[in-house]
Amino acid sequence: MDRRHFIGNSAAALGLLAGFSGQARANLQKAEILVIGGGYGGATAAKYLRLFSNNTAKVTLIEPNASFVSCPLSNLVVGGSRTLSEITTPYDNLSKRHGVKIIQDSVASIDTDKKTVKLASGKTLRYDKAVVSPGVTLMMNSIEGLAQANKAGVTLQAWKAGPETVALHKQLASMRDGGTFAISIPEAPYRCPPGPYERACQVANYLKQNKPKSKVLILDANQDVTSKGALFKKVWAEQYAGMIEYLPKYNVTAVDAKTKTVKFEVQDDIKADVLNLLPAMSAGEIAVKTGLANANGRWVNVNFLNFESTAQKDIHVLGDSIQIAPAMPKSGHMANQHAKVAAAAIVAELSGWEINPAPVLTNTCYSFVNEKEVVHVASVHQYNAAEKTFKTVPGSGGLSPAPSTLEGVYAWGWAHNIWADSLG
Amino acid sequence: MRAKYLKPAILATIYIGLSQWSTFALAQNADASNLYKRGLAATCANCHGTDGKGVVDGGMPLINGLTSEQMLTQLKAFKSGAREGTIMPQLAKGYSDEQLEIIANQLGKK
Ligand SMILES: Cc1cc2nc3c(=O)[nH]c(=O)nc-3n(C[C@H](O)[C@H](O)[C@H](O)COP(=O)(O)OP(=O)(O)OC[C@H]3O[C@@H](n4cnc5c(N)ncnc54)[C@H](O)[C@@H]3O)c2cc1C
Repeated sequence: MDRRHFIGNSAAALGLLAGFSGQARANLQKAEILVIGGGYGGATAAKYLRLFSNNTAKVTLIEPNASFVSCPLSNLVVGGSRTLSEITTPYDNLSKRHGVKIIQDSVASIDTDKKTVKLASGKTLRYDKAVVSPGVTLMMNSIEGLAQANKAGVTLQAWKAGPETVALHKQLASMRDGGTFAISIPEAPYRCPPGPYERACQVANYLKQNKPKSKVLILDANQDVTSKGALFKKVWAEQYAGMIEYLPKYNVTAVDAKTKTVKFEVQDDIKADVLNLLPAMSAGEIAVKTGLANANGRWVNVNFLNFESTAQKDIHVLGDSIQIAPAMPKSGHMANQHAKVAAAAIVAELSGWEINPAPVLTNTCYSFVNEKEVVHVASVHQYNAAEKTFKTVPGSGGLSPAPSTLEGVYAWGWAHNIWADSLG
Repeated sequence: MRAKYLKPAILATIYIGLSQWSTFALAQNADASNLYKRGLAATCANCHGTDGKGVVDGGMPLINGLTSEQMLTQLKAFKSGAREGTIMPQLAKGYSDEQLEIIANQLGKK
C-alpha cells in the first residue's frame, strides 16, 4: 500500500469533512424553512423544528386563520354540548414561546423551480425547505348539485371546524321534532375514519333529549362502518334504538337543494330535513395545484423517513394530504406525529447527519358516543426499512372494550395535551 | 511502504487531524442519536405533553413526577399486561424494550 497516497487522500477527506460540518451547521441556521398550514401537522412541525434545532432554525408559518379551531371534539359542538370557544386555541404561543415567525395569509402558489411561494397578498417568499400540511380538499364536484346546495346554505359539511360547525348545530336546533338528519360518508380514505359515526352519535344524543321523534340516517358509501364498527353498532342499538339507522353501500351521486333530496348510485332517493353530505376528499388544494398529489391525482406520495414528497425535493408533506401507509388513519394525532418525524429529519439533514433510520408513530382516536362516554382506537407504527413504509406492530394497539366515562375524561385530556403539544 | 518519505510535521498534522476527526464524528453521532431519542420520546407528547410536561389538571395522567426507573417499570408492566389500563397496555406493546428504556430515560424526572 502506498501510505503517502493513503495519507494524502485522508487528509483531503478530513479537510472536506471539517468544511462540510461547518457548512452543514450553517445550513441549519441559514435555511429558510416555510411551513404552509397551521393545523395539526403544520403547527406541530413549526414548533418541533424550533425545539429539535435548539431554537436555531429559521421557521416561518403561513396560515390564514387567526386562531386554531380543532376538528377533534367539534362533533360535540354540532351536538350542542360544547361551544366553539372550548375547542379554539390561539397561535401566538408559537411565536412568543418558540420563536416561530407567523404570517397570517395563505399560499396561492408554489414555484418549485425557483423555490418560492407566492402569498395571496401578493408577497413572494423564498424557501430552502417547505413543509406543506394543508389538510383536505372537499371535492364538491363529486356530488352533483352539492356546490350549489352548499352555496345556498342548504347543505353544510362542517368537516373543517369553524363557523360551519356552529351553523350545522343551528340547523339541527331549528329542525322540527320528527325530522330527519342525514349524514353521508364517502368511500375511504377520507379525513377521520370514525368522525362521521361519532357525529351521528352526537346528533342523536341531542335529538334524544330535545326532539325524540326524530331520526338520524347514516348513508355510508363503504361496505361497512370503517372504524370501531362493533362498538358503534352496539351503541346505536343500545343508546339510540329506533333513532339511528345505518345504511351501508349507499353512495350519494347527487343532491337537489330545493327538495332536499339525495340520489344514490343504486338505491331510491331519500329526503331529509338536515343534510350533512360529506363528499370525496383529496389532498389540500395547494398540494394538488403544485403537482404533489401523485397518488391517483388525489394524495401525496412521501418518503416515510422524512415525509419528503416523491414528486418534489425539499417539500415535505404531512397529515391528511399524504397517501397513507397501511392502517394509518387520517387523524390529527397522526398529523402531529408525522410532523415530529419530518422536523427531526429536516434538522438532521440540514446538520449533515444521517436521518433517523427507524422512526416511530402512534395513533389514538377517541370518539364520544354521548356527551360523556368515549371509545378509542389506538395503534403503533414502526418504520419497516425493507418495505419503506410504516407497519403496525402485531399484538399492539386495539379498541376500548366498551364506552366509558373514564375514557371521556382521557379524551378531553388528550385534546388539551395535543393542543398544547402542537401550539403551546 | 514509503513511510520514510513522511516528515514529522506532516505526521503531527495528520494525527491531530485524525483525532479531531474522530471527536467530530463522535460528537456528530452523539447529537444525531440525541435527536433520534428526542424524536422517539416525542411520540408520547400528544397525550402527556411536550417533553413529558402534561397540562396540569387537563384530565390526562401526569408522568413527569416519575423517575426514569419508575417510568420504565410502569411501561414494562403495561407491556407485559401486569398493569391494566385503557390505551397504555395497547401502545406499550408496540415499542421494543430498548425503545421503552430510551423513552423512560428521556422523560423521567431528572
Ligand atoms: C368531525 C371531525 C372529528 C375529528 N376527530 C378527530 C379525533 O378525535 N382525533 C384525531 O386525531 N383526529 C380527528 N379528526 C381529524 C383531524 O382533524 C385531521 O386529521 C387533522 O386536522 C389533519 O391535520 P392536517 O395538518 O393535515 O390538516 P388541518 O388540521 O386541517 O390543517 C390544515 C391547515 O392548513 C391551512 N391551509 C390550507 N391551505 C393553505 C394554504 N394554501 N396556505 C396556507 N395555509 C393553508 C388551513 O387553514 C388549516 O389550518 C377529526 C376530523 C373531523 C372533521
